[in-house]
Amino acid sequence: MIRAAAWFCTEHCGVVAPRGLSWQKPAPSATADVLALIGRPVKYFTRMTGESRCCLCAASLALKGADWWDRTPPEIGLLAARSEGLLRANEEYFQDYVAMGRTLGRGNLFIYTLATSALGEAAIALSLTGPSMFIQDDARPLAALVWHGEQMVADGEAGGMLALWSDSSAAVCFAVAAGAGGETLIPLPAGEEPNPLELCRSLQARVQRA
Amino acid sequence: MNVVIAQSDVATAYGWGLDALWNGLLGGETAISATNRFAERGFTSDQAAMISDLRIAPGESRAWAGLKRILSPIVSKLDPMTPVILATTAGEIEYVERAILEGDAGLSRQSHPRFLLERVKGLLGLRGPGMAMSSACASSAAALTRAASMVRGGQAASVLVVTCDSVSEFVYSGFSTLLSLSAGPARPFDCQRAGLSLGEAFGWALVTSGSEGTSILGWGNTTDAVHMTAPDRGAAGLLRAIAKSLAMAGRAAHEVALIAAHGTATLYSDAMEMVAFRAAMGRPRPVFSVKGGVGHTLAPAGLVQILVAGRALSLGLAPPTVGLTSPDDGAAGWVHGEAAPFVGRLALSTNSGFGGVNTAILLGGEVVS
Repeated sequence: MIRAAAWFCTEHCGVVAPRGLSWQKPAPSATADVLALIGRPVKYFTRMTGESRCCLCAASLALKGADWWDRTPPEIGLLAARSEGLLRANEEYFQDYVAMGRTLGRGNLFIYTLATSALGEAAIALSLTGPSMFIQDDARPLAALVWHGEQMVADGEAGGMLALWSDSSAAVCFAVAAGAGGETLIPLPAGEEPNPLELCRSLQARVQRA
Repeated sequence: MNVVIAQSDVATAYGWGLDALWNGLLGGETAISATNRFAERGFTSDQAAMISDLRIAPGESRAWAGLKRILSPIVSKLDPMTPVILATTAGEIEYVERAILEGDAGLSRQSHPRFLLERVKGLLGLRGPGMAMSSACASSAAALTRAASMVRGGQAASVLVVTCDSVSEFVYSGFSTLLSLSAGPARPFDCQRAGLSLGEAFGWALVTSGSEGTSILGWGNTTDAVHMTAPDRGAAGLLRAIAKSLAMAGRAAHEVALIAAHGTATLYSDAMEMVAFRAAMGRPRPVFSVKGGVGHTLAPAGLVQILVAGRALSLGLAPPTVGLTSPDDGAAGWVHGEAAPFVGRLALSTNSGFGGVNTAILLGGEVVS
């Protein structure tokens, strides 16, 4: 079951927590304010890509929304899919490498061409030691992420899973836990799945309505 | 339910098929050699393990050329609704290279793994679920764990795992930048090791329930949460993955007869693995790495070594770690430069990668009824 959902985009951020406090507010932009929102010191935060920062913020908010921040179940893992794939990161690395004469690239740009980089950074910052994988279903990527998360918890592979759906300027994170009888606290969108920014707006509207 | 790799195939720089890979490793000669593909680039190495007879049509990627050939025997042979998992790190990255080098921006989009996944499904006549998956250098191993979970959980009768990564300027330049490449062929666990060699591989595995094939008995996926590129020197993440794989299978460490290591030939990664194996297993048992023979094939690395471990289990013979002449202190008594006979039916296969990912899979030798 989905225990909480959180989002962070350039416009706003928030949490939908059916068993706790749901909230939304304008997203902070200053580094100190973003770090305060995350609630932990983050090494190399300013070196991260925009997408990695959005994922980290959304993941930290989802942990809090799920009541996993202070009472963390063992082995929380991370799953991710990206609406844009890795195109932007790949182009950025290779363009830079070509511009530098095709002999030397930049290591920090190369690292971001890995699909799991944002997950690795979130894992380090939030001390998450469960599985981390990028899984992009070709039909319903968001629903598939949540489904795999539920399966991994049910298999005992993780105590809980965070499922991240992101692009370069927005990330949504679902905290997925074991649930009896297919209980769903937050229904996933039916039909065609929204892109991450649309989903952020949809979650914001849900909190505003409540 | 017993989950097995019922059918599979693999291509590496030793050639096409598991026999070529197995015989290449047993022969002890590396398939890593100097390549002139990047001769003008001034990288820190010119070594790679390339598949020499790969036929690539104009405009085609190496990944698709390799997959087309290796998948051809199973075209139209699978249930059309069989789910497929494509495990790759770079996929058809040539499209990004060409887009930038040739100034054709539209080409870049073709590098999205969904296009390669669509082509794989189209070639095989599959209409069921499909997903692209990446977990750095543990990608195909992690994909096998998801496939095994789906079969064990009854969500699918069979799942096809397809994996590929090719040697490209994109990836080669990146590892050169990170100063990870060895000037000569990689020598895993050797005290003279000087880094990894990149290789390419294509492969597939049909994961299903049954008794014929190499069993996937248990698995564990973990994250170090320590560093983006360096392993946890205390090996805590890999140790947890190993413990999970044993616990899921209900087996004990002393039953493990063979270990297929990630064995990249980078100093800290090799050392971390040996710390984990010594702590988890206690007494020595044969450990091997295929990367001295076929290089580091990235996403396919897990499947490649698992297929070798399956063959080793069926023969009771651990392959040599090619290039090993003088094991470092951590590996001495465990890793061998010659084939080593062993007795037992269980093998452990481990992979670790950037972002601190670790995967451990406990394998069972084929049950002969």
